[in-house]
Amino acid sequence: MVGHFSKQIIYEAVKLSIILLLAVCVTLPEVASANAPRQQKDFPQGVSAVSPGSDLWRDVRQRDLPLQGAVPLQGVTQVQGVESGVLINAQGDRWARFRTENPVRYAPMALLGVISILVLFYAMRGKVGIDGGLSGRMVKRFTDYERIVHWTLAIVFLWLALTGLILLLGRTLLIPLFGHHVFSLLASASKEGHNLIGPIFLVSLVMMVISFARRNIYEKGDLTWLLKGGGFIGKGHVSGGFFNMGEKSWYWMVILIGFAISISGLILVMPSLGQGRVIMAISHVVHVFGAIVLIAVSLGHMYMGSIGTEGSIEAMKSGYVDINWVEAHHDRWAKQVKENNLILSAEDFARLQGRKFDPADTVTEQS
Amino acid sequence: MIAYLIDGPLWYFSLAVFCIGVLWHLARIIFTRGRTDLSVARGSAGGGAIRNVFSRFIPHREIASQIGLPVVAGYMFHLGLFAVLFFAAPHVIFLEENLLGFGWTPMPHWAFIVASQFAFFGLILLWLRRMLTSVGRLISTTDDHVAAILTFVVMLTGCLALLKGFPELRLLHRFTVELLLIYFPFSCLMHTFTFIPSRAFTGAWFGRRGIDA
Repeated sequence: MVGHFSKQIIYEAVKLSIILLLAVCVTLPEVASANAPRQQKDFPQGVSAVSPGSDLWRDVRQRDLPLQGAVPLQGVTQVQGVESGVLINAQGDRWARFRTENPVRYAPMALLGVISILVLFYAMRGKVGIDGGLSGRMVKRFTDYERIVHWTLAIVFLWLALTGLILLLGRTLLIPLFGHHVFSLLASASKEGHNLIGPIFLVSLVMMVISFARRNIYEKGDLTWLLKGGGFIGKGHVSGGFFNMGEKSWYWMVILIGFAISISGLILVMPSLGQGRVIMAISHVVHVFGAIVLIAVSLGHMYMGSIGTEGSIEAMKSGYVDINWVEAHHDRWAKQVKENNLILSAEDFARLQGRKFDPADTVTEQS
Repeated sequence: MIAYLIDGPLWYFSLAVFCIGVLWHLARIIFTRGRTDLSVARGSAGGGAIRNVFSRFIPHREIASQIGLPVVAGYMFHLGLFAVLFFAAPHVIFLEENLLGFGWTPMPHWAFIVASQFAFFGLILLWLRRMLTSVGRLISTTDDHVAAILTFVVMLTGCLALLKGFPELRLLHRFTVELLLIYFPFSCLMHTFTFIPSRAFTGAWFGRRGIDA
């Protein structure tokens, strides 16, 4: 009786197994096709299945959650280190998109915009001359040390601007022109050159503060200069001291934005100091936007200091400026110069420069 | 082809020009017979030579405040360049594998970077001073400018090739080094080897005459 019962159970079990096996054989292709890509063309070649862990990673990533302050979602780990508990920093994506969509798009527009304005201004107004022309009689404006500091900062700034723009815009602008290999070579060289020379900019900036800060403090009368557009709008020159308000504002812009760029640059170049990726991303944004603003305004400064205004370049070449230039642009300083009898004759100036005096070279005074 | 030329024949040629040129220049200085000093010695020529070699490292107190910038920039540039040239890891490895057959402990990467920055900053300041001061401009020759610019270019190409990812950048650096080696013996850069004998000669003359300078 027991033996018959056992045989019955075994028979039933075998029958059930066969049915289950058949069921599996019948349904397996359906299950497989349900998991398989619906259209093979939706996936890159060689990938034939959706990752079974995609839901898991989506949860880990938390990409779609609203921002939790500036801190990415942290897990628990025994690994000691900055953000070691962060498996995936979803905000890195936001930063990468922001970098591509904003500075890379707007930097060329800003720079080309400023260049266009300057070209237009030059075409309309030409070189801003001095009433009566240059006299040849000179006044000392900057010491040797001050000019060395200025040109050191200028050379370093131009190098950093060039290499920085290659790093920022090279992928968009240079790859179509020169191809991937030349761009990667230029990018590698620019990165090394940018990082190595960068700290010299900070030191030059400190030297700039020590040399020029006192004379760039705003004073009474500066606002008038601003309200009259620095004399470039309309006719006639506007009253100014040793530095006018435009020069002072440019100076403080260089100092403040320059320090912001330098400090953010140091944060970027030394990633192992304990700052997280969020701080790095913020530093990058500050660095890039600060640099674009400074480069754009520096184009105006270069224009004004060279072809834009008659007699200006001499201040940073020899350290001396023509007395007529001083009277036209810095009349309050001109008054002090005259009171203290600080005007050099053209002969004395030529002698100081180690040149033979030639009246035709220096004097363009108009009657 | 260009890589072969720069790594091979041009390298050996520039090295030969440098070595023969420097030795010839030094031999010419050493074996040139000057006028015999017939005056009675008032002091030690040897003592004067040694004193002058070391005392010239520090500027005279009377003019120290006026030449602060070139002194500081000069030390920054020369010490920075010396450190980079002989203690940067890529240079130590290069000297060991290609010239000397032995090496020494290089400085850490951060020190290499700081030394390079000192060298760059010093050279920029010195060259600007040469260009912007009227006296500096008047006493400078084309040789001075070429030497400064060539040295700067060598340093710059070296810094651009730091990542070692591109053979083109290494070749560019090596090519500029070769140009510098060829230019070196015929230029003011020879002061690298002549500044000690020059100071010693002047110091010996001062010492023998009893001049305290």
